[in-house]
Amino acid sequence: MWTYLLEKEFKQFFRDPGLPKMLITFPLMMMLIFPFAVSMEIKNINLVVVDNNQTVTSGRLIDKCVKSGYFRLVEKSPTPERAQYLMDLNEADAILTIFSDFEKQFEAGNELPVSIKVNTINGSKGNIGAGYLSNCIRNFVKEESAGEMASAGSNIDVSTKFYYNKYMDYKVFMVPALIAIAITMITGFFPALNIVNEKETGTIEQINVTPISKSVFILCKLIPYWAVSFFVLSSCLIIAWIVFGYTCAGSILTLFIFTALHIMVTAGLGLLISNYSDNAQQAMFITWFFMMVFMLISGIFTPISSMPLWTQTITYLNPLRYYADAMRFIYLKGSTFADIWYDALGLFVIGSVMMGWTILSYKKSK
Amino acid sequence: MYSIEAKNIGKSYGAVKALDNVSLQVRKGEIYGLIGPDGAGKTTLFRILTTLMLPDSGNAEVEGFDIIRDYKAIRKISGYMPGHFSLYEDLSVEENLDFFATIFGTSVAANYETIREIYSQLEPFRKRKTGKLSGGMKQKLALCCALVHKPSVLFLDEPTTGVDAISRKEFWNILERIKAGGVTVLVSTPYMDEASLCDRISLIQQGQIIDSGTVDSIVEKYPYLLLSVSGDHIYPVLKILRQVKGVVSCFAFGTEHHVAIDRALITAEDIRHILTENAYADCVVKEIRPGIEDCFMQLAAKK
Repeated sequence: MWTYLLEKEFKQFFRDPGLPKMLITFPLMMMLIFPFAVSMEIKNINLVVVDNNQTVTSGRLIDKCVKSGYFRLVEKSPTPERAQYLMDLNEADAILTIFSDFEKQFEAGNELPVSIKVNTINGSKGNIGAGYLSNCIRNFVKEESAGEMASAGSNIDVSTKFYYNKYMDYKVFMVPALIAIAITMITGFFPALNIVNEKETGTIEQINVTPISKSVFILCKLIPYWAVSFFVLSSCLIIAWIVFGYTCAGSILTLFIFTALHIMVTAGLGLLISNYSDNAQQAMFITWFFMMVFMLISGIFTPISSMPLWTQTITYLNPLRYYADAMRFIYLKGSTFADIWYDALGLFVIGSVMMGWTILSYKKSK
Repeated sequence: MYSIEAKNIGKSYGAVKALDNVSLQVRKGEIYGLIGPDGAGKTTLFRILTTLMLPDSGNAEVEGFDIIRDYKAIRKISGYMPGHFSLYEDLSVEENLDFFATIFGTSVAANYETIREIYSQLEPFRKRKTGKLSGGMKQKLALCCALVHKPSVLFLDEPTTGVDAISRKEFWNILERIKAGGVTVLVSTPYMDEASLCDRISLIQQGQIIDSGTVDSIVEKYPYLLLSVSGDHIYPVLKILRQVKGVVSCFAFGTEHHVAIDRALITAEDIRHILTENAYADCVVKEIRPGIEDCFMQLAAKK
């Protein structure tokens, strides 16, 4: 009986005009397109320079900034008004103004008379742009005065080393997080829609009058999607390995265990939603709402530690927070189960509450 | 002993009383019709008897099993065909049948005799997706799926709604043969003309059973004299007759009127006389035997 129920679900899955195609395109999209698209690295900042000094030194500073690779020199504007005009047109992200006494002050070793103005329509681009720019100026000062300073011997050389992601490659940082999103969507969305669909077409009526128990029926609905999500997980890992050469630093088994734990949570959520909605539209809307919230406050795109305290508190209720965290720790750092037991605990607690609630609400509707 | 016995069942949806003190007794091996208009509460009663819903009050037994305590046993021995088509449209005819046989813990081969007659008509299409079948075929397949586990009680909720006249007739022939196999059939329908095809019926209106029994016994209880009036100017006649003292009711019935009159107050001759006086002498007034629909109208009006 079990096998037949499963057979039916798989048949329906593969007969669906869209689902099997999704199964292939989803991991491909997730691994081949999104790592580039969601990159937080800021490049190609449009820079406008107003050079009022016009000396060799100021020329070297401009050169230094452009060569850093982060900026694209739009033009050297003759007047500040012209530069402002370009920014108003949204053609300049940052304006570097060099004042006329630049060389004099520089040689005297005084504070440099430069100003930085950034366009913060795109907040992160503006912020990071300003940071890069002042960094460039600092480096410039350091290098230019290296000769004199060397003799003083008090120079402290600070070099940065990136742990767990040697080259600070944003893509490798996103791979485990994107997998987390994919798994959440597949196991959260599809079972809910599937069950609501049976409700809508009335087939669930027909099933309910049979001796088969509701729990068996629903379990048989979930299993195919679990299989699908493990398939997606495996294929994402393989694609990341073949295309980018990324491999999981930790044990793949731990990765799968956490995925299984996370699936319990999303499945519970999906069932809960299907329980409270009568048609696919409702179910779709509610799941979408949860998915949005989950993703935005999961720490996948923006670090949780930089959120305000009250948002940070809310993230403790977000299963994706634990799962994405665990995925990154295992994939990038090679953490073991013992290292990230708290993530497992978080998932387990949320999952138990979710499942309990689901079972209770089912009993009530009977 | 009855195959289905419901006692004082009540069920409300919020302020709406879907079922009000409904009692019903269906004998073993009979076709029992539940006849009433849309919204009368037929489907609610079916859902309660098939253990899909709990009643607010009252209790019921199916083949001696209590609908609340022994719901599992009832699910094993009953077949249910809901009012709307509810098989998997993306599975083929054969797969649907196999599926339902399997979840009832049996196989199509083991019960092939039960469904052979109906299934033989579907067999040429067994590889076709259920969603692509015609309405009549879908209905037959649904019946097959409800019968595939050899139920002893069959619940059919409006099986002939939306089915053409020929398929309806065919469907009732099939029901006759299912009954011959000893299966109790409880069938609901909004079509009054199907009442005569049932062994016994209950008339249901606004959640209440207004009368039960064989069609003949219900017709016999009809208290008035029923006349049919036909003629050329039928609409003004309706207005006139409704104002006559002694006319209990007057309804348009196809191309004629059915006029119920109180024997103690008025006679058919009086009606003829009134019509002639009003210059409708061409009207033909005949005494007729009431049909189940006339009884339903009379009983519903009494309520």
